[in-house]
Amino acid sequence: MQWSLLLNNLPYLLVGAFPDGPPGGAALTLVLAVTSALASALLGMAGGIALAMAGRIARVPLLLVIGFFRAIPVLMLIFWTFFLLPVLFHVNVPGLAAVVCALSLIGGAYLAHSVHAGILAVGEGQWQAGLSLGLTRMQALRYVLLPQAIRIMTPSFVNQWVSLVKDTSLAYIVGVGELSFVATQVNNRLMVYPVQIFLFVGFIYLVLCTALDRGATYWLTRSGRDARASVAPVAPAVPSRD
Amino acid sequence: MQAWLAPKYLMWLWQGFGVTLGLALSAAVAATALGFVLALARHARYRAARHAAGAYVVAFRNTPLLVQLLFWYFGVATLLPDAVMQWLNTAHTVHAMGWAVRWPSFEFVAGWIGLTCYTAAFIAEEFQAGLRGVREGQHHAAAALGLTPLQAFRYVVLPQAVRISLPPLFGQYMNLVKNSSLTMAIGLAELSYAARQVETETFQTFAAFGVATLLYIAAVAVIEAVSLVVAHRRDLSFARR
Repeated sequence: MQWSLLLNNLPYLLVGAFPDGPPGGAALTLVLAVTSALASALLGMAGGIALAMAGRIARVPLLLVIGFFRAIPVLMLIFWTFFLLPVLFHVNVPGLAAVVCALSLIGGAYLAHSVHAGILAVGEGQWQAGLSLGLTRMQALRYVLLPQAIRIMTPSFVNQWVSLVKDTSLAYIVGVGELSFVATQVNNRLMVYPVQIFLFVGFIYLVLCTALDRGATYWLTRSGRDARASVAPVAPAVPSRD
Repeated sequence: MQAWLAPKYLMWLWQGFGVTLGLALSAAVAATALGFVLALARHARYRAARHAAGAYVVAFRNTPLLVQLLFWYFGVATLLPDAVMQWLNTAHTVHAMGWAVRWPSFEFVAGWIGLTCYTAAFIAEEFQAGLRGVREGQHHAAAALGLTPLQAFRYVVLPQAVRISLPPLFGQYMNLVKNSSLTMAIGLAELSYAARQVETETFQTFAAFGVATLLYIAAVAVIEAVSLVVAHRRDLSFARR
């Protein structure tokens, strides 16, 4: 096989028509992933805090909404945002916005439960400690519960972001020129190397996802490690015998 | 504009739902078996088997299902000999016990392979977590009773590991139903594909996607209900001991 043919298409796979046109390929995949990761983190935080603070009755509609987003396929939600919003509001929704919207909502719904679980896992005692110090519920959440909960929630966030990177490939369905889309374009143009092309594209995703997994885990657990490292020398160890 | 979908289009959606269920069910069976084998391989005595299973899980978990499906559909088709492809692309009917079983289309086969391989990686992780969840003392207890390693695994470790991994396993089955929607990208006429088709033909966006969404929610809800029943019976059987 001729590797030169693939090599010629490499820039197109990585950045699309970038210097002359809008970015595409792996670069657009990254943009999509980062945007929806941030939005889903915000939504998830808001949802989780709302779940933790809401009373028994206010929680029911919230759980229903979150359950809805967790029960439907990402693809269905992309259809809803891409095809229905224009009909309802008579605005033209670009495919990019529809995908970011759908991915953020679904990611946010999953993360809301992780955030809620993280806050619960910190324990009732911390709530009571915060409240007995004279903090309001909001202050106790902000200064006592959340800093501890974040450490517990880290793995869920990283997992969710990795699956988000993978889900950006669904933008293919509505014709957004990200990595999977340009891969099929290149495949249709060359016709003869589908195995090599899709293996290569899979490899790019693999690198992106594993890098994100390792990097985010390291970065997010660093603060925890630093705190423990600075505490360690002060903490009384087992008294030495001599 | 008509208020609701004509029966013909509802029928399309219903048939699509049937394909979705058939695909998810057959992939669930195969993925559970493959995932189980992978989980065992990660505990194998041979280092090569452990590494191979680990690499499989990393590779299949960290690449998008869509790319995997495109690979199976477009890529493997060029690797197979022409004769095999021709056979796969033509319709076949098997007559068995008075039933005429139609051999599925190549799209279905590619989708089934893709979903199976992808889901198996996740199921392997759940089984492995279950195996890790069985306490060390149980292994020792089985050995002390004079069971061989194989017997200990079969009668002591495995039943407990399966109990631990049942709830997340059902979560994976729900994901499988949802993920099966991606097979529309390779042209399999399942529920999402049918919804898109009905929408194009009738312009009744809300109705078409609404019905499809409700059917997905119904399928996921049924799996959730089954998982609750299974978990309840599991807890009962624990309580009896």
